[in-house]
Amino acid sequence: MSDPIISARGLGVRFVKGRRRNLQVREMLFHGMRRNPNAGDDGFWPLRNVDFDITPGEAVGVIGKNGTGKSTLLKLIAGVLIPDEGTITVRGRVAPLLELSAGFSNDLTGKENLNLVATLHGLSKQQLAAKFDEIVDFAGDQVAKSLDLPVRHYSSGMRVRLGFSIISQLHHPILLVDEVMAVGDAEFRAKCYDTMQRLLAEGRTLVLVSHNEGDLTRFCTRGLFINEGRLTVDGTVHEALAAYKGGYVPA
Amino acid sequence: MTTSVAGVWSHRTVLRVLVQRDLAVKYQQSVLGYLWSLIEPLSMGLIYWFIFGVVYNTRGSFDGASYPLFILSGIFVWQWFSSALSESTSALTAQARLITTIKVPREIFPIGRVTGRFAEYLAGLPVLVAAAILFHGHVTWRTAVGLPLAVLMQFVLLIGVSLLLSSLNVMLRDVERFIRLAQRILIYAAPIIYPLQKVQDADIPHWVKVVYQMNPLVGIVQLQHAAWFPTEWPSTKLLLTSAAGCLIILFAGWWTFHRLEPSVLKEL
Repeated sequence: MSDPIISARGLGVRFVKGRRRNLQVREMLFHGMRRNPNAGDDGFWPLRNVDFDITPGEAVGVIGKNGTGKSTLLKLIAGVLIPDEGTITVRGRVAPLLELSAGFSNDLTGKENLNLVATLHGLSKQQLAAKFDEIVDFAGDQVAKSLDLPVRHYSSGMRVRLGFSIISQLHHPILLVDEVMAVGDAEFRAKCYDTMQRLLAEGRTLVLVSHNEGDLTRFCTRGLFINEGRLTVDGTVHEALAAYKGGYVPA
Repeated sequence: MTTSVAGVWSHRTVLRVLVQRDLAVKYQQSVLGYLWSLIEPLSMGLIYWFIFGVVYNTRGSFDGASYPLFILSGIFVWQWFSSALSESTSALTAQARLITTIKVPREIFPIGRVTGRFAEYLAGLPVLVAAAILFHGHVTWRTAVGLPLAVLMQFVLLIGVSLLLSSLNVMLRDVERFIRLAQRILIYAAPIIYPLQKVQDADIPHWVKVVYQMNPLVGIVQLQHAAWFPTEWPSTKLLLTSAAGCLIILFAGWWTFHRLEPSVLKEL
């Protein structure tokens, strides 16, 4: 087996529980930093003590109930969240589709967003120029017609189409996809399936979060079942699904 | 620190695109577009010229060239400083969507805001040069040295300030309000619309003058004035104080940013 492309060791993130959205200077002045109302609170760990290795070319499905840390895990892999405990090592660049909005800004047109997001993902100007038509093409007619409209007016399906088009054109070895297939229509889903199949055949590594059993078994060979912030099953996708459906059964 | 500098450098394309987008968004919706970046400092200059030049008649204390040029050379840098200050405060909060979905060095966002305002400053330079010709500014070696040095120092200062404020503002939203107040104070706390000599001659305790000159803006603004008024060239001591101040703020900003980064990402 080759070296793992993603490896997590004792991974944990802590969110502060009951923290008011924003600390006010007033509170800091009156209570001082010591008597910070958040101090002493153990906080809440959406994810803790997670260990796994993913080898290049693997397709891993992440399964779990809502709010059990699946998306948090993907964010950690993507590097948009920094762990409080343990380490996550990612060897290679990541092409993430983390949110339905794909990071688009509402005020910018589809075209501007495409340019901005693709550049932020690391496409150079030349690459972008070469791929531009392909990206728009893949996103479909609806998006192509609305390219000069602000993304504000896009439906969530259109956003996902454009977002996925961009991600699928990146050459990064790791692909992270967070429940986006759910929004697209049947035609687009079929396109997505083809693309993901192709990318996997090229030897990319896929980490997919989904609640859809069909999607998971179609692509993934391995399954991670996350329950209340802990990685409870790391086995085949069927084992993970069984654990998800049947509640947690200790092996 | 070297790793984050390298990180930002390798993402300079991203920086450029962010700045372009910033400017595009800012100007596409206004009819006067780009002219706004000139109208603001010019009208501010006009106000100060009226109050201090006409009403209080400060004009007498300048060699050859006149007070309008003095104000303009101060106002244009002030405009850069002040707009960068307020816009970098919201650099992370306003772009949370991008930051939480795409991994790029986070420093890019505040630095991008500073760079965007620098572009506006550059756009104003021709006006400043025109004013220098019109009001007989002295073009000497000090023009060639003073302007770039002032710009460099201000970049260092602003990057430090923007890193500090942008990350702090995620945790404490009061920062935005505080900055609005600070802007009002700071414009008078540096020799922008009055000559530094007036402070040095003023009948105030010595320690007040020392504290006043600790403000790195003082040296920067003096360099800007000195580009057209050779007698305004700051003393070596003042220059070194300002340069040191800029660097200290850069390190403080960078340090704070990295200390807060994990929490900032959770908050966004």
